[in-house]
Amino acid sequence: MIFLGRVPRRLIQLTCFVGALVLVWPLVPWVVAPRFFQQVSPLVALSSTIAARSIGVGAVLALVVAVVSSFKKRWFCLYLCPTGFLLENTSRIGLRKVPWWSKCPPVGRYVAILTIAGAVVGYPVLLWMDPLCIFSSPFALNKATNPMSALLVCLGLGVLLGATFVFGMLWCVRICPLSGLQDMLFAGRKALWARLTRSRSAGKFNVARRVFFAGAGGALLGFWARRAGAARYRKTDTLLRPPGAVPEDRFSGLCIRCNNCVHACPTKIIHPDSGQEAGLAGFAAPIIRFDRDYQYCLETCHACCQVCPTGALAPLTLGEKNKYVIGEALVDNNVCLTALGKKECDACELACPYDAVKITWDEGQYTAYPVVNDKCIGCGACEVVCPTTPIKAIRIWTQKPA
Amino acid sequence: MAAGSLAPVSSAPADQAAGQSTNQAAPPAAVVEGKVVEPRREIPLLRKTSVLVVGGGPAGTAAAFSAKRLGVDVTLVERYGYLGGLATGGLVLGIFPLYDRNNRQVIFGIGEELMKKLDVLKFAIIDRNKPPVYPTIDAEAFKFVLADMVLDSGINTYLDCWGVDAIVDGKGAVRGAVFESKSGRQAILADIVIDCSGDGDIYAAAGAAFEKVKTNIGLISRIGNIDVVDMAPSRGSEDPHAERKPSMGKPDEGRPSKGRVNDMNGHAGNSTPAPHVNWLNMKGPVGDALDIADLTAMELKHRRGTWTNVEKLRQRPGNEQAYLAETAPQLGVRLSRLLDGCKKLTVQEIRNGAKFKDVIGYSGAYANAPEFQIPYGSLIPAKVENVLAAGRCISAEFEVADITRLIPVCWVTGQAAGIAAALCIQDKCKPRNVSVAKLQNLLHQQGAYLG
Repeated sequence: MIFLGRVPRRLIQLTCFVGALVLVWPLVPWVVAPRFFQQVSPLVALSSTIAARSIGVGAVLALVVAVVSSFKKRWFCLYLCPTGFLLENTSRIGLRKVPWWSKCPPVGRYVAILTIAGAVVGYPVLLWMDPLCIFSSPFALNKATNPMSALLVCLGLGVLLGATFVFGMLWCVRICPLSGLQDMLFAGRKALWARLTRSRSAGKFNVARRVFFAGAGGALLGFWARRAGAARYRKTDTLLRPPGAVPEDRFSGLCIRCNNCVHACPTKIIHPDSGQEAGLAGFAAPIIRFDRDYQYCLETCHACCQVCPTGALAPLTLGEKNKYVIGEALVDNNVCLTALGKKECDACELACPYDAVKITWDEGQYTAYPVVNDKCIGCGACEVVCPTTPIKAIRIWTQKPA
Repeated sequence: MAAGSLAPVSSAPADQAAGQSTNQAAPPAAVVEGKVVEPRREIPLLRKTSVLVVGGGPAGTAAAFSAKRLGVDVTLVERYGYLGGLATGGLVLGIFPLYDRNNRQVIFGIGEELMKKLDVLKFAIIDRNKPPVYPTIDAEAFKFVLADMVLDSGINTYLDCWGVDAIVDGKGAVRGAVFESKSGRQAILADIVIDCSGDGDIYAAAGAAFEKVKTNIGLISRIGNIDVVDMAPSRGSEDPHAERKPSMGKPDEGRPSKGRVNDMNGHAGNSTPAPHVNWLNMKGPVGDALDIADLTAMELKHRRGTWTNVEKLRQRPGNEQAYLAETAPQLGVRLSRLLDGCKKLTVQEIRNGAKFKDVIGYSGAYANAPEFQIPYGSLIPAKVENVLAAGRCISAEFEVADITRLIPVCWVTGQAAGIAAALCIQDKCKPRNVSVAKLQNLLHQQGAYLG
């Protein structure tokens, strides 16, 4: 764009970088701010719109970026991308070897096609490779409660910085799906322009075979991941997703591992999953674990729903969130202190914000124990106050789909 | 105003009066026009005293000891034949909540003194200073400690003596209480009455406003010859342990779940200072603690249910020789009346950690409520004079009273009420006009924790 040409590029980059920090940190008193950061990316906007079959407000921003990018090659990368800014400066101080990868074909556009094709079947396969969510992820570090979570939130950007230091701009030039998408938009616009102006010299868009394979691959991967997710969901394991999560078969695809929800959670109960519970397909996607004293999903908070850029967590209102079923509380009365007559305890009943737990007298057993009714949404308030250790007598479990 | 028109009579114990009055037979009740009426009669005076403590449970004994230490004349009256109330006769042997969120003890004073006396006795108390695990006491050891202390203290004590009515003067101020015992109906006149009856019988009779609540009523028991299996902490314990991990699996079909429960094959409670003896707490169904029909039904059913439970327990391997050592002599009434006091302690306040200028002590952290302050205002009736409440019947919202009713918190409110009553005598003032600074200072001197 000509008007930008007058301003030094580095200055614009720096401004955008600072702007990104302000949105992601967030330094503005605006809970939803981080969400709009990732939604600037056309790849995130396009894929999540297709996959979630619904369009968000942020898509307008992404549309602007897409249009401009189709006129000026890699405009977003050169001026706006904070990850690009970081990597560019890293490569300047890096090893500066002659890049061995300069002969390799650009992979980024096929990553983008794969992802969009996956989005069509409801599972945008490699959307987590979007540079904006890789950039924002480490900001959740202050909410990491264990070394594994800390490692996971820093992993993406750390790998990119390391690779850039050693290999130069490999990521930005060849692999980044967002730059790939911009290349396609630019080439597509030129081809369209040429078709309209009946000139055949400019723009070649004849990589149909690769596009077909990438698209088919994306769709297949998407199907596989959805099946794996569905299978996982049928198991009665302890995997709990944050409130508003779409069904498990689509969740780990729609989730781009931006860790906005981890960052937003005031009680630090959302953790990136190390892959133990959801396997490879769910690697680093957020799960809820009630492993901190007295910390549960607050009835006064729906921050995680507000910051999700892709709709993996639906933008629920506070009222809706307080009806969303995260899981169900189940009682093991062979551990419960009240049931065993060990102590005067009604901690779970007192703690429940939804009136869902009642210590109930059982005439047959001649004892009392907590009984959970249908008001339970699995916020975990009961589990975190249950005094038994190491195993809680009342715990939140995934609800089997009906 | 000064302490009413009633002159302090503390220095003149009226023991002679007790002996004389019991021989006079009162005219019996009669049927008049189809109604049972009691003839108007004079009630023999048992005593005149400065501070009358009605109820010898944890709150009552703490109140009596702390008032007596300030040199005033104290009379302690107890309905049962032993002191300690629910902590002994009710077999509520678990002493909690004692600790704050950070596992520091926040209840000291008389309660800590009593536990220190138990410390030096054999088989009297276990799990002292092992937070988050709370201490468990032995009922007989505690009865011994209290009897020992009362005998040495010079407190005029009457057991087997049931406070049935308040004595009120023309202005509605409390002047004493009426009791029923083997000696018949007798009155004790007092400058200040501390209602530690648990049910608030005296302040209710004096016309103080209160809230009536219904909650679960159980009956605690002790089981002897319990095997190591059921003494082990693995089945539901606050004690971190690694042995015999309970199942990690999801409670599912055939196991307890939403609205379902598996057969527990008896439940054995928790260990006590006595070897191979467990105390077994019971939640019980909801009942009206002020309705004799409810109380009777509960006692009968609970004794039957407790026996059946032990029979089930004996089928569990290792517990074949378990036997029911005793059921508690007293029903486990949790709450009945809650005073409408100068200050009603609210759930909001205890959740937000409210601080009170007239703080008289702390309750330990319980479930999701952190440790919280108890204000002096929650011991004073809003309108009626010369009476203080302590123990489970103080002025608090139901959810708060569900914590303040517990044994150590009763010690706290009892001790504060005792000191406040003594201050009323010394400074010739009403309970609501007691100098808070003096009260807190004396609480400090008696070892209480005020934050």
